[in-house]
Amino acid sequence: MIDFSRVQKELQECIKDIEASGIKVTPKGDNLSRLVGTIPGPIGTPYEGGTFQLDITLPDAYPFQPPKVQFTTKVWHPNISSQSGAICLDILKDQWSPALTLKTALLSVQALLSAPEPNDPQDAVVAQQYHRDYQTFVNTARYWTEAFAKTSSLGVEEKVKKLVEMGFPEPIVRSTLEAVGGDENLALEKLCSS
Amino acid sequence: MEEISDSFLCCICLELLYKPVVLCCGHMSCFWCVHRSMNGSGESKCPICRKSYIHFPSICEALHFLLVKMYPEAYKKREIQILEEEKKIGTFSPQIDGHMCHQISEEKLNGSSQSCESAECSISANAVSSCNVVIQEEDSPEIWLNKNSKQISKSDLLCVSCNQLLFRPTVLNCGHVYCQSCLSIPANEKTKCQECESLHPGDLPCVCWELDHFLEDQFPEEYSVKRCEAKSKGIDSPSESSKAYTLGNCKDDEQHDSLLLLKTHFAVGCDYCGMYPIIGDRYKCKGCIEEIGFDLCGDCYKSQSKLPGRFNQQHKPEHKFEHIKLRANPNYLLSLMTGIISSGGYAQFEIATNSLSSVPNPPADGAEDSELDLALPLVFDAIPEDDLSETEET
Repeated sequence: MIDFSRVQKELQECIKDIEASGIKVTPKGDNLSRLVGTIPGPIGTPYEGGTFQLDITLPDAYPFQPPKVQFTTKVWHPNISSQSGAICLDILKDQWSPALTLKTALLSVQALLSAPEPNDPQDAVVAQQYHRDYQTFVNTARYWTEAFAKTSSLGVEEKVKKLVEMGFPEPIVRSTLEAVGGDENLALEKLCSS
Repeated sequence: MEEISDSFLCCICLELLYKPVVLCCGHMSCFWCVHRSMNGSGESKCPICRKSYIHFPSICEALHFLLVKMYPEAYKKREIQILEEEKKIGTFSPQIDGHMCHQISEEKLNGSSQSCESAECSISANAVSSCNVVIQEEDSPEIWLNKNSKQISKSDLLCVSCNQLLFRPTVLNCGHVYCQSCLSIPANEKTKCQECESLHPGDLPCVCWELDHFLEDQFPEEYSVKRCEAKSKGIDSPSESSKAYTLGNCKDDEQHDSLLLLKTHFAVGCDYCGMYPIIGDRYKCKGCIEEIGFDLCGDCYKSQSKLPGRFNQQHKPEHKFEHIKLRANPNYLLSLMTGIISSGGYAQFEIATNSLSSVPNPPADGAEDSELDLALPLVFDAIPEDDLSETEET
């Protein structure tokens, strides 16, 4: 059974501190076991200026088991899957402690954005690029931030919905939007021309 | 509702500490929060500093009564809330006997009254009696609440040994609080609590800094006197000593760990010393009907200690015990042995095979067997469990 009174306290604590940390946690629905986290990209990194959304699921034994956290915003980072958003971070696995909170966990994720660990990768392709061609890595990460993590690109789902309503099949809409970096007009152009 | 100091918020449930437990690293948490965060299959780690430990300490009663006094309303609310949860799971935390504590504090008060001024003493006496009221007249808290609910006196925070205000408070596994300097390490001997005579397992505990800062805040004058005394004696070097203890803890190697696993009773704890899980001999009470059971480790079974159970079990001295044998999974043994081989040491492997092949006879009785036969059921897997258990009177 999840300790909901603790989760409630954590959410309040997050709100109090939002000015300083920029970290937001909000419930997804009525049930406090599914939440959405938001972290600002750290300054001085390719993620600067981006706002990254994470999907948080609390296991039954929370806080004695770690929350399941993964990015819903696409990120180019050696320890984050570019496909699924899965995060490779010890405190979200065997190094979790019940004294950690959603806020401290998200702070750690934010710290991971500043300090990649390419030798313990989640995404082998990104890690390889990081090692072999660091400048390309930085450029790609910056480009992904521009394309997926800027406020304008936050409403991806809405764009998908809009284009689907126009009569395009959803998988193609998604891949096209992705290919053009989230720009709705470019996607429409491409969809029409193909 | 009272404003609760951050010092007394549990790091796990984020609420006022309820029935606080102080771990050997000096960090504190609620009874249930510590228990739930413990690992039933091996070493547990402090949620804050990750220092490993294996004994679930007893509730620190001094701290419990301090909180009852400082936050009567909030503490009462926590009590109701926890009791509700306990009823749901059918397992209860230990009841703390208010009356006994009252007597102890009064004794202490008398003992220390010569050293403190008369004004201080009268406040202490008031405070002690109000502490008693908290326990006995739970329904009418308003009477004393406004008078001196937050009146903390020195008598609430005395060292078991020197009977003076605590300085660098250190809590033993039994929950009794000492000044760090009042605890000495007897050579080749285990530390024993002067109050309850229980042995403290492992290294000396570290200072509970949260409580220390509270003392400094509440009694700045006495505290600074204490600090000067400590400095002149050259014992005020907390960082060094705590470092030494941590280093002492890191001696376990991999081989040691894997052999320990063979003797581990997963998710079963000793109701006397708090070892969780029990490693080595385990004795299970046949008289306790509570679902959580009542178990003792080998050492505590032999020591005949008189402490009550950890979860309020109605254990009686006349209850009989049963020696529980481990029936480990042969596959596990196989994986362990291959693990040992692949991890290198030929000598290590030899030790493992020796211990298994040098016990040709199935054990006749359980109680007197050496540790080796705990691995026996792996080899003689056909031995029925009944033959391995033996009843004894305590």
